[in-house]
Amino acid sequence: MNKNVLLYAVIIIFGLAAPFVFPAFKVQLSILCVLIVLATTWNIQGGEMGYNTFGNILFYGLGMYLCASVQVGMFFPLAEWTESGGEKTFVHTPTQFFQGMAAGLVVAAVVPTIVAGLIGYAILGLRGHYFAICTLGLGVAAGEISGGIEIIGAGQGFTTPPFPNVGGLEARGEFFYFLSFGALVLTFIAVRAIYSTRFRLILNAIRDNEDKAEAMGIETMKYKIIGWMVSAFFCGLAGGIMGGLVGYIDSTDVAFDGREMGVFMVLMAILGGKGTLWGPVIGATAFHIFKEGFWTFFLGWQYVALGVLIVVIVIYFPEGIMGWLREKYPERFGEVVDEADRKAQVELK
Amino acid sequence: MKIKNIIITFVSAIAILFSTSVVSFAKVVGDKIILGAAISLTGKYSSNGVHTQNGYNMAVDRINSMGGVKVGGKTYKFDIIYYDDESNPKRAAQLAERLISQDGVEFMLGPYSSGLTKAIAPVTEKYGVPMVEANGASRSLFTKGYKYLFAVLAPANLYLDVAIRTAVELNGGKGVRIAQAFEQDAFSQDVRLGILDAAKETGSEIIIDDKLPKELNDMAATLVKVKQMKPDVLVVSGHTKGALTAIRQIAEMKVDVPMLAMTHCDAAKLSKQHGKNSQYALCASQWHKTLTYKDDFFKDGMTYAADFDKEFGYDPPYQSAESSAALLVFKDAFERANSFDQKKVRDALAATNMQTFYGNIKFAPGGQNVDKPMVLFQVMCDGAGKCENKVVAPLKWASAELIHPIPKWSDR
Repeated sequence: MNKNVLLYAVIIIFGLAAPFVFPAFKVQLSILCVLIVLATTWNIQGGEMGYNTFGNILFYGLGMYLCASVQVGMFFPLAEWTESGGEKTFVHTPTQFFQGMAAGLVVAAVVPTIVAGLIGYAILGLRGHYFAICTLGLGVAAGEISGGIEIIGAGQGFTTPPFPNVGGLEARGEFFYFLSFGALVLTFIAVRAIYSTRFRLILNAIRDNEDKAEAMGIETMKYKIIGWMVSAFFCGLAGGIMGGLVGYIDSTDVAFDGREMGVFMVLMAILGGKGTLWGPVIGATAFHIFKEGFWTFFLGWQYVALGVLIVVIVIYFPEGIMGWLREKYPERFGEVVDEADRKAQVELK
Repeated sequence: MKIKNIIITFVSAIAILFSTSVVSFAKVVGDKIILGAAISLTGKYSSNGVHTQNGYNMAVDRINSMGGVKVGGKTYKFDIIYYDDESNPKRAAQLAERLISQDGVEFMLGPYSSGLTKAIAPVTEKYGVPMVEANGASRSLFTKGYKYLFAVLAPANLYLDVAIRTAVELNGGKGVRIAQAFEQDAFSQDVRLGILDAAKETGSEIIIDDKLPKELNDMAATLVKVKQMKPDVLVVSGHTKGALTAIRQIAEMKVDVPMLAMTHCDAAKLSKQHGKNSQYALCASQWHKTLTYKDDFFKDGMTYAADFDKEFGYDPPYQSAESSAALLVFKDAFERANSFDQKKVRDALAATNMQTFYGNIKFAPGGQNVDKPMVLFQVMCDGAGKCENKVVAPLKWASAELIHPIPKWSDR
């Protein structure tokens, strides 16, 4: 337990100090926090429950649009803000900006949760590939639909309120960093708390054999929906923050960005090791660093490099980084290995 | 739980990686002025991104080889740090941040497309980094009160305005029936707004108003409607892919329409790729090589086109020309400011009033170039099937007469 406290203290201190130690990397660090949130929440479905969803991007995009809309709509007419691609500009006072952002984030988290409940009720009966394909459609459809809704800017995009003029040049970066770091901490605590209850076992039971779980009297549908709602809550929150951070929302390229964020969240969780608490965190961090590195050193070839990385992951780390570590150092994961027995098995082979 | 140790090691490894990867460039290193640019080298705008980059590089080489930039009695050379924004606004905003706060860039060149410029402008504005952009035409960029954004091009809503007015004129001043299809992106939607305004003023009627998806490769549904409803004008805008798709499918489906107005024909190399099929298409352009503007560096449009062709092996689309012009604007502003102070350079940029091979450049308070009209050209082919873009409007620059209405496919 002591070691745990120490570890978390180190991470928290690192997190709080990061924007001051690496002031130039604030944006990348903020994005890293968002990526970890996405990977961690994807893991609830993809890792623990065995439902490979591509639909979490729906909640992320929804949160993004909702947060910005509330932030504007609370003080100014939204339709005029977005008309003709944002011709009219209203200026938020600092108080309005922060109040709007706070209210926006609440809405950005709550509404996707409700949506997840409703959609989940409809489609979580599907299993395996059918569920994956169905959720793939969700993100694509949401992107196309939102691209046609005039009040949120349609194809012109939606410029989010500019950060008010307070606290100098670094204020914006610091604000969004701490916001995303806060979201990350909140997500991690929540997910960790959930994983320490019977809920995780139920999700695992669903993954391992859903019919058996049902036969044992578990209302699988209920748990699947609740699991998805938890993911949606944090995805929406992350989306809301990301919208403000990017400053410009485009329906298919920023909000319902299934091709990038939607796929990345899956990749990150798999890279780190799905079905573990730390896997998505490590996966997202490693992925982000690799990606930024490729981007700098292999300009023009970054996707090729990323592709090679994915191939390497699939071939050499099919269980992810955590899975690989676990295989290599089982004793560190609290698994007792009988050395004599292991040797005997090797010799038998 | 040794696993925690591993995690701690991992976290510290990241910390080290981050701290060692800070490579800082200054705005001016030795005799170099370093500009930053996020360009779409991959993704849906990659072809136009490359046109933009070629335009920038061409101007950098030319200016450097002709003496560079003289500031404070010293000669400096331009250099550009490029990143690939992958045609994604999120990435573009992130890269702008990176160029400014990590690479220390103090002057920026614009990306390709309005959407990406919209994502970058708030960042450059926040840091007070002057940005001269050549490829973000959306009108809403210029109504936000940005002080550090300067665009060498005319706003998007003016692109096809002339086409509608010409059609009305040819129709004896009576309104025309317009069919239009626009990609769902900031630029094309702005072109659409321009058409809506023009239609309202001329009493024209919009009978088809379709939206096209971003990864555009099929617009048959719109064309079927066009065949049925027989509008007087068909307007299509969707960057390079939009132009290519429209021409390909109009030819395949033999759609007859008296006037076909588009954007991005030259960027799509329509006359080369589709030859006779693209004949008679009317295209909005920021620039054409036959225009008679002049400057000291590229002489005039024809010389620019010839030099560009020699260097990159194709006829320069206006995206390249305007990008080259952006560098000329920067050079001019640096020399007039006679300083690398961002504020002074910004003020010098705002006071720009010059002629380049690409056109006159003078910025309105919003940052758009108000001194350069759009031109319309039409793809015209000779008997041998060799096609060329000829300017047909405005009349001052016209090198050929507009062919209207477009002959039916059955008569071609």
